[in-house]
Amino acid sequence: MSYTIETLIAEDVLKEKIEKLGKQITNDYNYEEGLLVVGLLRGSIVFMSDLIRKINLPIKIDFMTVSSYGNDMESSREVKIIKDLNENIMNKHVLIVEDIVDTGYTLSKVINLLNQRGPKSIKICTLLDKEERREAEVFVDYKGFDIPDEFVVGYGIDYAQKHRNLPYIGIVKGV
Amino acid sequence: MLRNKKVDVLISEDELEKRITELGKEITEKFKNSDKELIVIGLLRGSILFMSDLIRKIDLPIKIDFMTTSSYGNDFESSREVKILKDIEEVIIGKDILIVEDIIDSGITLSKILNILEGRNPNSITLCTLLNKKARREVPIVADYIGFDIKDHFVLGYGLDYKQECRNLPYIGIMKEDK
Repeated sequence: MSYTIETLIAEDVLKEKIEKLGKQITNDYNYEEGLLVVGLLRGSIVFMSDLIRKINLPIKIDFMTVSSYGNDMESSREVKIIKDLNENIMNKHVLIVEDIVDTGYTLSKVINLLNQRGPKSIKICTLLDKEERREAEVFVDYKGFDIPDEFVVGYGIDYAQKHRNLPYIGIVKGV
Repeated sequence: MLRNKKVDVLISEDELEKRITELGKEITEKFKNSDKELIVIGLLRGSILFMSDLIRKIDLPIKIDFMTTSSYGNDFESSREVKILKDIEEVIIGKDILIVEDIIDSGITLSKILNILEGRNPNSITLCTLLNKKARREVPIVADYIGFDIKDHFVLGYGLDYKQECRNLPYIGIMKEDK
């Protein structure tokens, strides 16, 4: 199967946006209270790594792996937790970092689960938002880019587990 | 970013970027003619920044995966017991594996992880660490790729923590002890 990848968001455009998001987040939280930044593996790792370096607060980081994305383009509807957080989040501010929000199913389930643990707050920061695909109710607090309903890869996002290491966001053409 | 502590820069952001670009090129050269799939495995939580930067400098169709082990606690010294909290998801039999570490000191954790992965019969295992604290080595582990050899300082930043904080510093720092 052959396909090509066209650039949708270039490296320097990503960089500039992430600096802005980092500043915004730094301003919105309290230095003394700190913040736990939660990344959803594997897709959010590159975005999260760049974002946290732009957050000038005493943060902790943690990761969760959920299984709703398989090797298919469509998200399946069942969400299983493969790896839970290591940190306790009760009375803490939590910022969930996502690479992309489309239907919002996975994310809404993750939020429900974390809310039961009594955090002080939960906010969402996503690099990409495919709003026209939204089916579940998810409020995005920080957003990098609105994108059309195209199949995107790179900067952490995969196609059949590949291309996560592209330094830019691309669109897969010809699949 | 670190409450009431002073941090000196040991390795700056620019130095990190330059060295990681070199490592990415070397790794690309090593694997570009392999007909095996290359899977890059990061050890959480410390290696995430290094891994994110390194993979973007590897110009090959790689897959990435993660493992979480429990040997590093909130203490300065690594404890000796290694528990796998999260295993990798990929099947690695017959594949080329690149393990990405933030730092190797005693090498005990890593040697146990290597044993586990070797038991799954990959085609090869290559080890890449950003920092190498050779003076602390207790088991004979040699990294194939080393970012920087460092002295026995307590380092933090760029993924490395002090009590789970400071991982988001964009450089490698040394913490000044309180007097």
